[in-house]
Amino acid sequence: MSSSSDADVIRRSLGVPEAFGLIYDRHAAALLRFLGRRAGAKVAEGLLGELFRIAFERRKTFDASRASALPWLYGIGANLLLKHRRAEARWLRASGRMAAALQTPDGRASAGALEARLLFPRVADAIEALPDDEREALLLFAWEALPYQSMAEALEVPIGTVRSRLNRARARLRELLEPKGKDRVTSR
Amino acid sequence: MRPMDLVRRLRREAAFEPAALERGRAVLMAAIRQEVEHAPRPSIVPQVPYEDIGAALVFLQHAFGFREIPSSRILHEEAVIHAMVEVGDGVIGIGSQGAHGARSPQSTGMASQYITVYIDDVQAHYQRALAAGARIARDPREHSWGDRSYEALDPEGHRWRFYQRTREAPRI
Repeated sequence: MSSSSDADVIRRSLGVPEAFGLIYDRHAAALLRFLGRRAGAKVAEGLLGELFRIAFERRKTFDASRASALPWLYGIGANLLLKHRRAEARWLRASGRMAAALQTPDGRASAGALEARLLFPRVADAIEALPDDEREALLLFAWEALPYQSMAEALEVPIGTVRSRLNRARARLRELLEPKGKDRVTSR
Repeated sequence: MRPMDLVRRLRREAAFEPAALERGRAVLMAAIRQEVEHAPRPSIVPQVPYEDIGAALVFLQHAFGFREIPSSRILHEEAVIHAMVEVGDGVIGIGSQGAHGARSPQSTGMASQYITVYIDDVQAHYQRALAAGARIARDPREHSWGDRSYEALDPEGHRWRFYQRTREAPRI
């Protein structure tokens, strides 16, 4: 039973709704961590049940040619996060401050440390300033390490669109982080 | 550092309450229950009595391809006293011999009705029932108007007629 694919389980859940519980058992932990990385524990815990409730209600629309439901669930989670942009932004900025603090564990005020202290909050702001679709692609790629195919399934766009969104996000970050002139933040 | 590496450095795990996963599961299960309980049901549900409900449920699913409706079982002192099976958009109650004045043919020696079940493929259904040890009361045949049917008895002697319509208009 547990060897059956997600597609099989979802197909079965059309007749036996309880079967969808297995999809939860397989993927809930991964989705909870995903939501947590994006918006913190409190928001993530509130969204997890909601995510699976939506997935359950939309299970008829799951593309049965996909063996794993995980990218599809990521996509639903990403849409849910859009409604919690402020919480997401807060978490991201806090992450920026913490990454800056981690750069200088001993409190040494070296030139590099100072640079890092300024840099990471700026990275957070830069991510925050990206258009929604580019930010989503960027974070699925950088934080979730999803392959392109899975990202395409999650975002419901062709792989080519995933690539172009990532490229645009990269370019925009570079622009935001390296404002014209000499006071460049990154040295490489 | 390249932009992507910088972004990766901001990846931060959240610390969850241990019960977070259980709470999420409860939300899903409530939605599932909601759907099960509000599934449309037919207005008429025949109640069919059996002396051995457990054996009947196994047989009806195995031989005839009916499906037990999850969470439909009613238990009394750990024994199943009622359950529901469905096939297509039809539902049948599987009850206890003697309850509500209904008796199994196994105890009365005769059936007072038979039930017609509309299916897609009489031949395949017949083979399945046969392989599962169903007693065939009437071999598959083609009616003059093109429909097909056969009749089988379950272990307690209820008669089931399986019927495949081959025309658009129903004929009974």
